[in-house]
Amino acid sequence: VTDATPSAPSRSLRPASPAGDTPGGVEPPPADRADEYSPDVRRLFAEAPGAGAPADAAGWLRGEAREPLTATHVRWYLRTANGRIAEARYEVRGCPHTVAAAALAAERLRGRPVDSPQLEIATIVATLGVPSAKLGRLFVIEDAVRAAVRQAGAGTA
Amino acid sequence: MSRPFLYLDAAATTAIDPRVANVIAECLAAPPGNPAATHAAGRAARARVERARAEVAALIGADDPQSIVFTSGATESDNLAVLGTARAAAERGRHVVVPRTEHRAVLDACARLEREGWRVTYVRPDRDGLVAPDAIAAALRPDTTLVSVMLVNNEIGVVQDVAAIGAICRERGIVFHVDAAQAAGRVPIDVEAIGADLLSLSAHKIHGPMGVGALFVRRYPRPALVPLQFGGGQEGGLRSGTVPVHQVAGMGEAFRLARELLADEASRLAALRERLWSALQVLDGVHLNGHAGLRAPHVLNVSFDGVDGESLLLALEDVAVASGAACSSATREPSYVLRALGRDDALAQASLRFGVDRFTTAAEVDDAAARVVAAVRRLRAIAPASAESAP
Repeated sequence: VTDATPSAPSRSLRPASPAGDTPGGVEPPPADRADEYSPDVRRLFAEAPGAGAPADAAGWLRGEAREPLTATHVRWYLRTANGRIAEARYEVRGCPHTVAAAALAAERLRGRPVDSPQLEIATIVATLGVPSAKLGRLFVIEDAVRAAVRQAGAGTA
Repeated sequence: MSRPFLYLDAAATTAIDPRVANVIAECLAAPPGNPAATHAAGRAARARVERARAEVAALIGADDPQSIVFTSGATESDNLAVLGTARAAAERGRHVVVPRTEHRAVLDACARLEREGWRVTYVRPDRDGLVAPDAIAAALRPDTTLVSVMLVNNEIGVVQDVAAIGAICRERGIVFHVDAAQAAGRVPIDVEAIGADLLSLSAHKIHGPMGVGALFVRRYPRPALVPLQFGGGQEGGLRSGTVPVHQVAGMGEAFRLARELLADEASRLAALRERLWSALQVLDGVHLNGHAGLRAPHVLNVSFDGVDGESLLLALEDVAVASGAACSSATREPSYVLRALGRDDALAQASLRFGVDRFTTAAEVDDAAARVVAAVRRLRAIAPASAESAP
């Protein structure tokens, strides 16, 4: 036994893995968790381009959808011009893949015909490398677009 | 510019104390010696093991160091206590009582017993995570042979009234096991006051090495216990296998330090925990999980309204904290502990467990709190019907 002065271990000696004591399952170390997200998912999650309601939502189509199991919630705001989507903004509560997918969907919706935007979440999922088990919750993005587009059909825009 | 990585997951594991590392290094540099051997090197190794055994016993108020059985960790200790006791008492009864909020090392052992024909009663805690001794008493049956309750919950940090439960068990002649993996070095432990027959311990939770733990087995009266592994008959026949001297010596030193520092450290950690909790309360919609007063000093578990737990974790990648959900890549099942407290799935999933330890500084706590607040505000700002819309 030495009488070394107690001091904090260097950063490299600090525990790197919180594994083993997270009830409900074992939490993987950060490196493993990082692997879950592609660079595109990370960028879109961090920047969330197009996120947030427009400053003045008057005249925008609005639609939303929820997935109660995971509390995923997406709301779209679509500004239309000449029968096409001129701008798409969104609000999202969900996992990083959902946030990234909503951001990518907002980019892809621009310029599409409002009566048939043809947003296919499956292609976005493939582009971002979303785990297949998350596909179900990501359908709310598509459902929310449909809800907004239905408003146009109902003449509420 | 990247921010420094912050470690606030002390309930999962802690950095090894340099003094402990020195003891381990001394052991590794010493001549080889199997503590079961009779020659001089073996006796030297055995002396190190027995010193460690005495230190472990001293921290938990055990009079007889021989009541300490070294294991590979608290999981093995829990398994040995639950399976070993139940199987040894199979002729007398096949019923076990545990709270729903026990560690998986106990719950999974109970599930194993159920597959082997035992009945298990899972007692529900109250909304603060506390298990009423009366609820345990009400669950007892004539064929109950074991009650297992953790002293400090590993997820929410609440401290159970194990002394009252121990008295109930003693009165009925039922073996009482206490999982104290999170309690050692954080709260005072006295196996006599608790009335524990068995008590599980871990080294790496209090700045000792991983891969070593212990099970206190009361000497008088000694609970019947069937071992889980067989071989050389080490550790009183309860845990065969060569005793890893360097790890055990490290555990002994960690427990010696914990005993020496307990009072000061507990108050310092509690102050850090409260500092963190205060800093987080600048946010609306934050909920403390677990009883506000009856808690260990090193754990803080908080749920956040209006955010997704996985997104919160990714936003906090440079802060080591545990989430209230299992982190598989595809599905994130909310914590069964938080659900047992009545938290809804969304809130249970959007929870973080913070743990502070000997090396955590106030500056780190402040920095971590600032990062959490910023991350929660940002996620709420992009969410529909956010609880707090402005950053």
